[in-house]
Amino acid sequence: MSEVEELSVVDAVDAGSTPAIVIDGVSKSYGDVHAVQGVSLSIGQGEFFGILGPNGAGKTTLIEIVEGLRDPDAGRVSIFGLSPHPRNPALLPRMGVQTQKSAFFTRLTAREHLETVAALYGKDAAAAQRALTVVGLDGSANVRVTDVSGGQRQRLAIASALVHDPEVIFLDEPTAALDPQARRDLWKLLRELKAAGKTIVYTTHHLDEAEALCDRVAIVVAGKVVSLGSPHQLVNAAGLPTRLLVAVDRITVEQARAIHGVDSVTVEGGSVVISSRNAAKVLAAVAEVAGLDGVQTRTATLEDVYLELTGTEQQ
Amino acid sequence: MSAYAALTRASFKASVRDTATVFFTFAFPLLFLITFGLIFQGREVDDTGYQYIDYIAPGVLSWGVANAALFGVAFSLMSWRNDDLLRLIRLTPASIWSVLNSRAVVSLLVSVVQSVLFIGVALLPFFGLKLHANWLLSLPVLVMAVSAFLALGVIVGNFSNTPEAVAAIANCIIVPMAFISGSFFPLDMMPGWIEAVSRALPLRYVNDGMSFALNGRGDLTDYLVALGALGVYTLVFGAIALRTFRWSNKS
Repeated sequence: MSEVEELSVVDAVDAGSTPAIVIDGVSKSYGDVHAVQGVSLSIGQGEFFGILGPNGAGKTTLIEIVEGLRDPDAGRVSIFGLSPHPRNPALLPRMGVQTQKSAFFTRLTAREHLETVAALYGKDAAAAQRALTVVGLDGSANVRVTDVSGGQRQRLAIASALVHDPEVIFLDEPTAALDPQARRDLWKLLRELKAAGKTIVYTTHHLDEAEALCDRVAIVVAGKVVSLGSPHQLVNAAGLPTRLLVAVDRITVEQARAIHGVDSVTVEGGSVVISSRNAAKVLAAVAEVAGLDGVQTRTATLEDVYLELTGTEQQ
Repeated sequence: MSAYAALTRASFKASVRDTATVFFTFAFPLLFLITFGLIFQGREVDDTGYQYIDYIAPGVLSWGVANAALFGVAFSLMSWRNDDLLRLIRLTPASIWSVLNSRAVVSLLVSVVQSVLFIGVALLPFFGLKLHANWLLSLPVLVMAVSAFLALGVIVGNFSNTPEAVAAIANCIIVPMAFISGSFFPLDMMPGWIEAVSRALPLRYVNDGMSFALNGRGDLTDYLVALGALGVYTLVFGAIALRTFRWSNKS
């Protein structure tokens, strides 16, 4: 498996732009816990790269090693050809980091917090104002950081990562705790950042989001990359069945089972659900029995691939 | 704005907006002054020609200034690290130096306001402090005292992960030190060995400097030795602070 992954890494880098980030054989253990085990991958400049995986899979440890916050036990990381660890002041202004736990200066307002962060990067108050506007927090600029709502905290944390106009942006579960509208607003922002040529590395639990936004994703389970590629590639490669939903009064379970190429048949929510890896052929057979009116087709999503991969690995 | 100026501004705003802490920072030493003033009012220390207030005023003030500097920076540093703010700063090009010094101006300002309030109250006829002509010499003492105890506070902050730990460690350092250094009781009344031990403690030198400035006790040599000793403590504590500094609770 890992050989396949490495090949696809090389392909992606050769085909795409020069890598912004190269992770080479990185491992990190805490006592008996092997948080990250021999992860290698490259992320191209301008790429939107997702790191997916269950809680405790080592995503945050991996991303913190890349950011230079943790020193790996083995392997090396380079960002724009520079090592992030030990602390590298030449590299830091080119990186923007939003952490899971939002860090804000005590008892300051949103604007004051951002102005402080801007100044730490040697930027002026205008930079803070721009970041505030980009994330849509103008209306809450003068609210104390402790008093802003959950969604606003998230956006303020992202603004803190953008204030100095970095080239590569790390986001750790940026849409956790956001309501659906706020999440879509953030997608828009992330797409704009990508359009502006930023390299974005982010972790998420939302598979639909990764599918909608990411150029490539790596699925991490138990500290290892178990799958790497574009969401489309991963869905195709997984060879998961397509599901056809036919109203119960149009076809019986027995009729459905009789169709050649059907893997399984269940009844869910008023529909006979037919799973098949040969959807085209089965669909033709269903058309003969029940007609195609109202037949719904559900192809596998990244979420199915993810559940398949993380489920197997955890057993 | 430089990173140092920005962090100083952030510290300043955080401090003045915490009104309860501001109030008690100033009220705490006054409370001691009033207590000791009531106990020892008008009494002279045997064979010295000085009144108790002449010992207690500079002593309690020294303790108050040292206490505020020590606790203030230790709490800020611990909470900045716990809130991942140090991690945020770690990811910017700002220097450790600007982080460690960001509270210096705030602490110095606190100590000046503390002193003005405190001396103002001690000068009231009830307490009967008479200010010596040297009083302006208390300013260099304040600067050196804040520097030394700020550096000590950074060390405490480096080793503490919770507010409870800061309080426990800082109190264990400052309370015995205050007694042994003669902040609350005149050293001249204590056994000789305590006087000897006090020479190893930074607060002793704050007391010496303050006593010379505020009521002319001791001579210029004592005063200069006090300033020099506090300079040495600042360097030693500063070096340890730098060595033990942690950006994060995690490794």
